[in-house]
Amino acid sequence: MITAVALAGYAALVGATVPPLLARSQWLHRAPAVAVLAWQALMVTFVIATALSVHHLALAGHHAHEGLVGLLIACGLGAHTSHADGASHTFGDALALAAPALIVLLPVGWLIRCAWRARRVRRRQLDMLTLVGEPAPEYGATIVDYDVPAVYCLSGRRSRVVVTRAALEALTEEQLRAVLEHERAHIAGRHHMLKVLVDAFSHAFRGLPLARYAKEQTDLLLEMIADDRALRFHSPEALATAMYEVAAGRAPQAALGAGGSGVLIRLRRVLTPQPRPHRAAWLGIVAATVTAPMLPLLAACGP
Amino acid sequence: MRQLGELEAEIMHRLWAWGRPATARDVLADINKQRPLAYSTVKTVADILHRKGMLTRHKEGRAWVYTPTCTRQQYTASQMQDALEDNPDPAGALASFVERISPAEADALRSALRAVKRRSAE
Repeated sequence: MITAVALAGYAALVGATVPPLLARSQWLHRAPAVAVLAWQALMVTFVIATALSVHHLALAGHHAHEGLVGLLIACGLGAHTSHADGASHTFGDALALAAPALIVLLPVGWLIRCAWRARRVRRRQLDMLTLVGEPAPEYGATIVDYDVPAVYCLSGRRSRVVVTRAALEALTEEQLRAVLEHERAHIAGRHHMLKVLVDAFSHAFRGLPLARYAKEQTDLLLEMIADDRALRFHSPEALATAMYEVAAGRAPQAALGAGGSGVLIRLRRVLTPQPRPHRAAWLGIVAATVTAPMLPLLAACGP
Repeated sequence: MRQLGELEAEIMHRLWAWGRPATARDVLADINKQRPLAYSTVKTVADILHRKGMLTRHKEGRAWVYTPTCTRQQYTASQMQDALEDNPDPAGALASFVERISPAEADALRSALRAVKRRSAE
């Protein structure tokens, strides 16, 4: 029972207390790749801690000494341990396995659904590009005759960078090349896979602070990773001006969440670069990222 | 699959460019100026486009006459609106360079940009 409560507390900590703190730490923006990893680790940790907590709760409510079997099952050791007093315990055992399995299967189910939906959208876009897209091999992009400036990419097996005619007109050659580099970074980094993971998690655990923050922050951090990639080859001014030109040319969004847009954060970050975090800090985050998901396993399986 | 999409594009391009209803045979005659293609192929793809809602058709004599349901601009606009405005970034399928912003944010962007340019000019 104590284990169940401890695990639940840990899940609450990871799911509700840590996310707003982490989202507020501006220094994470200096190492976006590590920060993305940290958010992914929090999500994994939350699922493991919650599943194990539910498992222990079901065991505790059922019979005290069953806890031992539960521990073994949790460690993958005792799944086939035989019971002396059979039938009455079967339901409790089933619950102790089914409840945590449900918690793991929930995000997995959403992952399949989200991936399927993304695939459909990509397909429809590819169909459109075949019909009205003009290949521009000199840019490695496809141009669409549309009067709102926009640049985006379709990841996956048949990846494309799409530039609208209006964006082509609004940007200088240097600015356009910076944006294209940014989009290619998304494709090369397979950022769509991370996005779909976060999306699935945020649907599965809607209402959980971690779900909201992880999605919002991962989106922003992935953009920052792509920005950094573009800055390797292009000037900050070119990239920042391109951000302004493309964002300002799009139809204004009347009611946007109070959180404000990431573009402003990104633009300021691009224009006033800050040193990467100290090596020790960097190692610290990585260590915490690796340890966090392990703790509930140790708590559940340990002596 | 992709080949089918390209054939669809070939047919739509011609109908959009001509701006008048046409039969599958009209389209075939034009494609045949560049390469050989069977009538049945063009007819099949035209019917697929009809099923997809891209073309309407009516009978004139013994032949079906096809008309695009919307202009090229209308089609592009509706698809782009779908992708960018109505449902931005469904499950991360499209990674947009920048998201939509409010007029106030556009002002903030502009002044941040101007401040840096002034600094670098000094």
